[in-house]
Amino acid sequence: MFERMIAGVKLALGLHHPARNLAVFPDDIFIVSYPKSGNTWTRFLMANLVYPEKSLDFANINLVIPDPEALSKRTLARLARPRIIKSHQYFDPRYRQVIYVVRDPRDVALSQYHFHIKRTMIDDSYPIERFVERFVAGETSPYASWGENVAGWVATRYHTPGFLLLRYEDMMADTQGELAKVARFLKLDASPERLAQAVERSSAERMRALEKKQAGKWSSTRNTRQDIPFVRTAKAGNWKTELPGAAIQRIETAWGPLMRWLGYAPFSSADGGGMATLLETVLK
Amino acid sequence: MIYGIRQILKYLAGTDIAGRNLAVRPDDTFIVSYPRSGNTWTRFLIANLLHPDEPVTFANIERLIPDSEAQSSRNLKRIPGPRFIKSHEYFDHRYPRVIYVVRDPRDVALSYYDFQRKYEQIEDRYPLEQYVRDLVNGRLSSADWGTWAENVGSWIATRHNGKNFLLLRYEDMVSDTASELLRIADFLELKTSPRQLDQVIERSSADRMRELEEQQSDQWVSTKNKRKDIPFVGTASAGAWRTQLPASSVVEIEAAWGPLMRFLHYELVTNEGLRATQEARELYAK
Repeated sequence: MFERMIAGVKLALGLHHPARNLAVFPDDIFIVSYPKSGNTWTRFLMANLVYPEKSLDFANINLVIPDPEALSKRTLARLARPRIIKSHQYFDPRYRQVIYVVRDPRDVALSQYHFHIKRTMIDDSYPIERFVERFVAGETSPYASWGENVAGWVATRYHTPGFLLLRYEDMMADTQGELAKVARFLKLDASPERLAQAVERSSAERMRALEKKQAGKWSSTRNTRQDIPFVRTAKAGNWKTELPGAAIQRIETAWGPLMRWLGYAPFSSADGGGMATLLETVLK
Repeated sequence: MIYGIRQILKYLAGTDIAGRNLAVRPDDTFIVSYPRSGNTWTRFLIANLLHPDEPVTFANIERLIPDSEAQSSRNLKRIPGPRFIKSHEYFDHRYPRVIYVVRDPRDVALSYYDFQRKYEQIEDRYPLEQYVRDLVNGRLSSADWGTWAENVGSWIATRHNGKNFLLLRYEDMVSDTASELLRIADFLELKTSPRQLDQVIERSSADRMRELEEQQSDQWVSTKNKRKDIPFVGTASAGAWRTQLPASSVVEIEAAWGPLMRFLHYELVTNEGLRATQEARELYAK
């Protein structure tokens, strides 16, 4: 009851963080991804692309591309429009313009495992096999399972305007080319120089340097273990050497068809049937 | 601001409508559908299946299978588990067990048109063609549930073929109620006899529901203070669109939602629908 009172007062003053209850405007643009899929990098790339006059870092990114989980309702409502908003939410029909970033779930699982250790939600000795088991069941995140999050968006929106699908792996291989897609999506006339500058300003080295200086100033790194970085390897394919075979098989069993559709070739012979049936049928 | 304060007071008192903020429990079962897709009928069927000693009416349905979009957080909290809850929500990953009812969107559009006139959300003279265009483009209050394809697609893409998801087609329920009801009973792991199933179907028939509506429309939250000249229980049939929906509206629905309709085995009758399906197939195949 007491908790509900505090929540009520916060609600009254607009001080609560709205998260999924965000009041959406029709002109809002969302960067959506499952957690640990390159959302922060995309956020920096877009912020540096759209606001070349600003010097962006972990101390001010939240006000430029806001996170409805980290800002109050009141602050969010007062931001200049159109807003570009960061989100991890699974399908929400109110989001009309969505840039969706997807990453190989085998790398996502690995990255989330390290992130949960950083946030001291699990300790160093927690078995990764058990973590992956929970990851597949959607129990390691409030944003549904990886497959539910991706399939929910892709099945409802991939064929409609107002949706851009980016693969983290393509962004790694050709950052400027993928950012040009973002610019076209935003109807932004960006010169190659402007794109190159945004890429440069959002490099993993620069983000690592900023994190070292500003980890205490950013809601996502404040009060977490400082011996494990937020900006980690920034690489594709770590799962091949770091993820146990059983964990790989577990992931591929759950999401095989969807992974294949996204170009994430299976490593094991495991093949799931449960996920993304709709997509599969459209493909036939 | 006044509205804001009222909302907050309601929140504090727990009298706010639960909706998407419902506190979900691990032993909950949800009956989910887009509006006007046979949800109330399914609710009657399941409630009659679960409560053979208490025939279901509009006066007790909210207690037996409450409506998460009509009942308060407090009311829903007081119901002992395992709860069976009605919902029109698009995908919500917290729902542990889901019975999803889908209906041909061409019939949904017709039924929704009558329903929104009943609720006085649109006027009688509002043209049906315009209504369908708005429905397809998500410009009506129904868009709170997503469009038909968003609602259906978000559930099927994430949960179909999973062991805690049962997909029912309204059309199959109309043509062979007994076998679909048996599927429901199996899904819920309920032992039943053919006699019992017959009784459930009888107690949930359109005729009986129409009779109950006539007597009890003021006792049910969904029909209270609504126009009485348009019934809540509609045609209770499949395929009315073939004679009642303007051809241009059929084109618009199929052009927008053809791929998903084909997946659900709703026959496409327009070239636009077939083309949209082909285009989607090519796009996803890239």
